[in-house]
Amino acid sequence: MKVSKNELMASLKKAFEGLGFQPGDYYDAADMVVWLETHGFDGFDRLQAALAYLNTTAPNHAVLVQEDEHNAVLDGEDSSILLCGSEAVDLLVAQVMQSSVAGLQLNNCYNRTFILQRLVKAAQRNIAFIAYWRQEDYCVKVSVAAGAKLPEYSTFAMTEILEPQSLSIFAGTDLDVIAEQFAAQLVMGPLLETYTEAEMTACYLDSLEQGIEIDEALWQMLEDLVTRILVESTESSRAGAGD
Amino acid sequence: MDGVLHSNQHSIGQQAGSDTQLLPLRPASQVMQLERLGSFHQSRLSFMRTLVRRMVSENWQITSPVFDLDEQGYGTVVYQVEAKYGTFSYVLFSHYLDPDNRNDRVIANQWDLTMALCEGTVDAEQLEFLRNNVPKQEAGRVDSRVLVLSRANRSARTFDYVVDELTAGRQPCIDVIAEVGYLYRTTAAYGSGKLGMADWEKVRTKHPDFARPFAAEMFTCFMLRHFSMQQADYLAAQRAPQTATVLHKEIKRYIGIGNSTGLGMAPFLINHPLLINQWIEMRETALARVVAASEVGVDEATLARLEAATQRVIQHLSEIVTADERQNNSNASVREELQLIHQWLQEQGPVLASNRYVWADLIQYAEQSCRIETQEVLNTLLIELYPELVDGLEELMGVDESMQVMPEMPVAQLQQIIEEKYDWALAIDFSQYESMGAFWYRSQEKMEPRLGQTNIDMGMEKEMPLAIGRRVRECYDLLCAYNQAYPQQNVAHFIIQSPTYSGIVSRIQTMAQSQYGEIRENLVHSDVLPIHLLRCKLSFFGVSKFDPRSRLWVRNTMFQGAPLISDFGKPFVDDWQFPIKPVLTST
Repeated sequence: MKVSKNELMASLKKAFEGLGFQPGDYYDAADMVVWLETHGFDGFDRLQAALAYLNTTAPNHAVLVQEDEHNAVLDGEDSSILLCGSEAVDLLVAQVMQSSVAGLQLNNCYNRTFILQRLVKAAQRNIAFIAYWRQEDYCVKVSVAAGAKLPEYSTFAMTEILEPQSLSIFAGTDLDVIAEQFAAQLVMGPLLETYTEAEMTACYLDSLEQGIEIDEALWQMLEDLVTRILVESTESSRAGAGD
Repeated sequence: MDGVLHSNQHSIGQQAGSDTQLLPLRPASQVMQLERLGSFHQSRLSFMRTLVRRMVSENWQITSPVFDLDEQGYGTVVYQVEAKYGTFSYVLFSHYLDPDNRNDRVIANQWDLTMALCEGTVDAEQLEFLRNNVPKQEAGRVDSRVLVLSRANRSARTFDYVVDELTAGRQPCIDVIAEVGYLYRTTAAYGSGKLGMADWEKVRTKHPDFARPFAAEMFTCFMLRHFSMQQADYLAAQRAPQTATVLHKEIKRYIGIGNSTGLGMAPFLINHPLLINQWIEMRETALARVVAASEVGVDEATLARLEAATQRVIQHLSEIVTADERQNNSNASVREELQLIHQWLQEQGPVLASNRYVWADLIQYAEQSCRIETQEVLNTLLIELYPELVDGLEELMGVDESMQVMPEMPVAQLQQIIEEKYDWALAIDFSQYESMGAFWYRSQEKMEPRLGQTNIDMGMEKEMPLAIGRRVRECYDLLCAYNQAYPQQNVAHFIIQSPTYSGIVSRIQTMAQSQYGEIRENLVHSDVLPIHLLRCKLSFFGVSKFDPRSRLWVRNTMFQGAPLISDFGKPFVDDWQFPIKPVLTST
């Protein structure tokens, strides 16, 4: 079946609310899922993976483990980027505002591809980002130029063993400055694949024109989560609607 | 330059366009009081008004390639709409509805009419698809070719009466029409991607004809009005082909579309503060421009137009029939106070032509002498006087609604922002039971928003997050403690420590950059009047004749007094607000 972006956003927000997310969190999480799906990053598959975890535990956020002027380390405590991605990017932005370049490592977190939307949104404040993480047996690298509406997304062969559930993000006023500053940590193996801006744009425009294809079972799963925030209707409650 | 408009006010920024001098706007502390918002009336910037101006001036061509109704008026109609930039189809299904099943609430599942506005033309296959889904409304699914889905119920008081009169070759009594104002009531007009429809982003970017907020939804209601009268004429002709007459054009213009609006509309105003800010800022900008226009006095012709408009409002209010005592009293008071304003203008006499900022003085007089409702009627009338200063603002009613945390902000600064911008929230004593005596929740019945009583009704643990004032208070208390412990820290660190407050922090930081987004009221107080929220939004839609049925829902009339399709492309004076009974001339 097909749904619209607005409809999907509304359903996701309520579904995440049903999972116990607070207002800021469910707005951000819905944004992340919709952005990934409408730009061709298999947002629904990743959402299903996330729901399997989120449906079994209370929402938890990352904690700050270590910090200095240019670097911070957060422990995601096995949470999802849907919950801790925003605070990680926010912390990085705050550091960049003070010291022009900064790096952040977020350990023990899942569903890291969702970070793309947060980086693109933060880039609108004229900040550039480079993020990378290990995905199975390859490495994902995402670059977002300051002010860019879309990221550069590539996969590389791994040249060193990365922590399997870790995400590294570097930020600064300019992509080249970041690349130079953190060159030692940004050594990648051979390029495997690149997902181009043109492909992302085409996917987005198609979703806008035709709607977004969603598996009915996933849609039903979201609807089931939404029911958690609904209150049983009674004769008395109908009076609360004007009867 | 004196008067309350001119002290301690914000000024309009760049967005409103060509203002070279900064114009004083009324402060949010005045404008954003819930009672004042609930006293707003339609203005030239209301969406029905701007839509009608566009349709008439661009001479939209509307035909009905399918008009397949049986002798009872049931069947299918497709209107083809040739607008300036595109072609659209308005598809309508007319069904038999047992009067016992006629229900205006969102929980209804059958209606007299169901409609869809679609992009392009509709072929047989799509028509069949629509026939299988549109009548089901929320229980059906449509696709991204559909822009709006809507439904309507007949007025039990007027529809049959009007058809009977036309069948007998007579025009309906205008008093009967005046008492109701419409032949059909719409109970919902869904757009913005609901139920698989086209996203607002698609409508905005692909269809310039409907690229203003709620333009497509308003058009759907306008077409319903057209159909309602065409159907009445059709039925009369079916019943008495030799003797039936058609509705007089003046009566047709006086017939609108009824609307019932309940709590479903209320959360919108809380959940879209940037959009509400934009609407109100443009309205306030219009008012400020009008005041500025009176810098060197007001000419006689303008005064005469104000006088005529004032008399029309007085008549309009006297013709409203409502069983709501509070509304009746209010209408009576406004009429009396408009007479006071008339007297004030008479007493000022010739000096109005040369006094500086006449309208500022008049507004000040109204604020000192009249109730809020009268003040806002006056403001609406003043805005009407200067279309050349106001109408350009209609293109600025949309806005990017994205909110963003500013994590680098020192916590002390955020604390200060709350103290300055949310002083109204900090002034609420949430330790009082009444301050948290109500809560909003979504019912299992079609997710209908409802208002519950704390500790009495079920569902408090599933409360909708509409208590902005309370959330701000909680955030502020945490922030003060955090600032005391870590005075050098920024918002990013505060959020890491208190992550569940990121949403309200984002809202506070974003809204601090605007003036009018936050409604300054505790929406979970025991005595909250949600009807003010509904009426505020409805005023921007452009409705008239408010008829409250309780503190939770209101009936009103859309497009009453508006031009007809047959008026499109003809000379047009856009002054159909505050409709009054027509005096019939020849047909």
